[in-house]
Amino acid sequence: MIWQIDLSVLTLIVICGFATIMVKDLLSAAIIFGAYSFLMCLLWTEMGAVDVAFTEASVGAGVSTILFIATAFQTTRKVKSRKKGRIFSKIVGLTAAVIMGLVLLAAQNNFPGFADPGSPASLHLSPYYITKTLIDTAVPNMVTSVLADYRGFDTMFETAVIFTAGLAVIAILRRVRLADRCDLPEPYTISAGYQDTIIRFISRQLVPFIQLFALYVVAHGHHSPGGGFQGGVILGASFILLAITYDMDLLLRRVNEKWSVLLGNIGVLIYAGIGFICLLLGANFLDYSILHKILPATGPVMARSHGMLGIEIGVAIAVMAIVITIYANLASHGKLDKGL
Amino acid sequence: MEYLVSHYNYWIYTLLMMLGLYAMLAKNNLVKKVIGMSIFQTAIIVFYVSIGAKREATIPIIAHGHGSDAAHAAIDAMHYANPLPHVLMLTAIVVSVGTLGVALAICLGIYRRYNTLEEDEIQEQLQ
Repeated sequence: MIWQIDLSVLTLIVICGFATIMVKDLLSAAIIFGAYSFLMCLLWTEMGAVDVAFTEASVGAGVSTILFIATAFQTTRKVKSRKKGRIFSKIVGLTAAVIMGLVLLAAQNNFPGFADPGSPASLHLSPYYITKTLIDTAVPNMVTSVLADYRGFDTMFETAVIFTAGLAVIAILRRVRLADRCDLPEPYTISAGYQDTIIRFISRQLVPFIQLFALYVVAHGHHSPGGGFQGGVILGASFILLAITYDMDLLLRRVNEKWSVLLGNIGVLIYAGIGFICLLLGANFLDYSILHKILPATGPVMARSHGMLGIEIGVAIAVMAIVITIYANLASHGKLDKGL
Repeated sequence: MEYLVSHYNYWIYTLLMMLGLYAMLAKNNLVKKVIGMSIFQTAIIVFYVSIGAKREATIPIIAHGHGSDAAHAAIDAMHYANPLPHVLMLTAIVVSVGTLGVALAICLGIYRRYNTLEEDEIQEQLQ
């Protein structure tokens, strides 16, 4: 950990944060926010949080940026500047921010120093997981073993939250009632290179490799950074790439709305189903070690590793389907006809 | 100097949090408010990940963790970064893309009805 690198990256992050708030163009704000996320990703790699960095690179920098661009495309790109008025809300916002900042700064004297190995968070609970992960689960990546096994119940509901978010987006945007709708202006074209042959060819050649990489990330999440969430988002992003370079039809011919909701369901069901199989075999919910009774040639320890792989696959399927659903609805104003 | 080096990341996360809160409260454009919310979220993640960092520690993946006798090798908890904040924040990031999708969908729904994303224009139309 080199604090000079840390500090310079953090300074750039603050500059990007200011720029993305202040810029008067939503497309620019989205792109600067993407840069902000990539800098965050750099910072977390530097702090040793490789799994978080991987997630941020695929989710924060990749999918979030696309969602912001889709919104700017479907609404308006300009942020109107206000000459007068708005003073009151600016004062209120500034006061609230300063008060909160002062309270947080006052609390900071009691915090342990940055990267202190003797800080309370590193002394009591976490050594157990660091030292026991190989003995208990045979998974060297302790982030995966905590995520999918020690804390599997929580992750199951996180997956359900993602699924619910997809359903909420459909519920908000898919109500096509004519009375409900202003005359939407024709969305303007963001780039003229939209029908470019080179872009289409290259992205079409890239998609199989992206998907192969995503499957590797899911399957190898036990031994290296990665796992179901990251792999699922990369899989979804490969489909989004197709939808951007071609059109929405090509995406929907492959994964239509019915299928993507069904896949989201299946993903959550795989997760909960593995938990119920454990229950049926006589152990606790999501206690994978009992799975060695039905998995051939595994002991109780390896069975936990395999059980984690099973739920990671479920998570990946659910996340992929929901990322596609959210993008398709946002980019087409819920009409699913044409996208970016 | 010692104090500065050991606490700068707390100051930066406070600064980012203030920035996010200010954008959420004071910005007129709804998408800018959503960006402020995302900045607020990343500020919290910076805080948690900073807590998990350790000096002289490597990434939380056990080196040479393959093979049958790997489990019996002694593992010193001091050599690995604290994995628990990483797990919490990993799922928080993924959930944040879900909340971001819902927030932007609501923005689109508002735009569909009022044909604007500016807060004061929406309030004028509501009255």
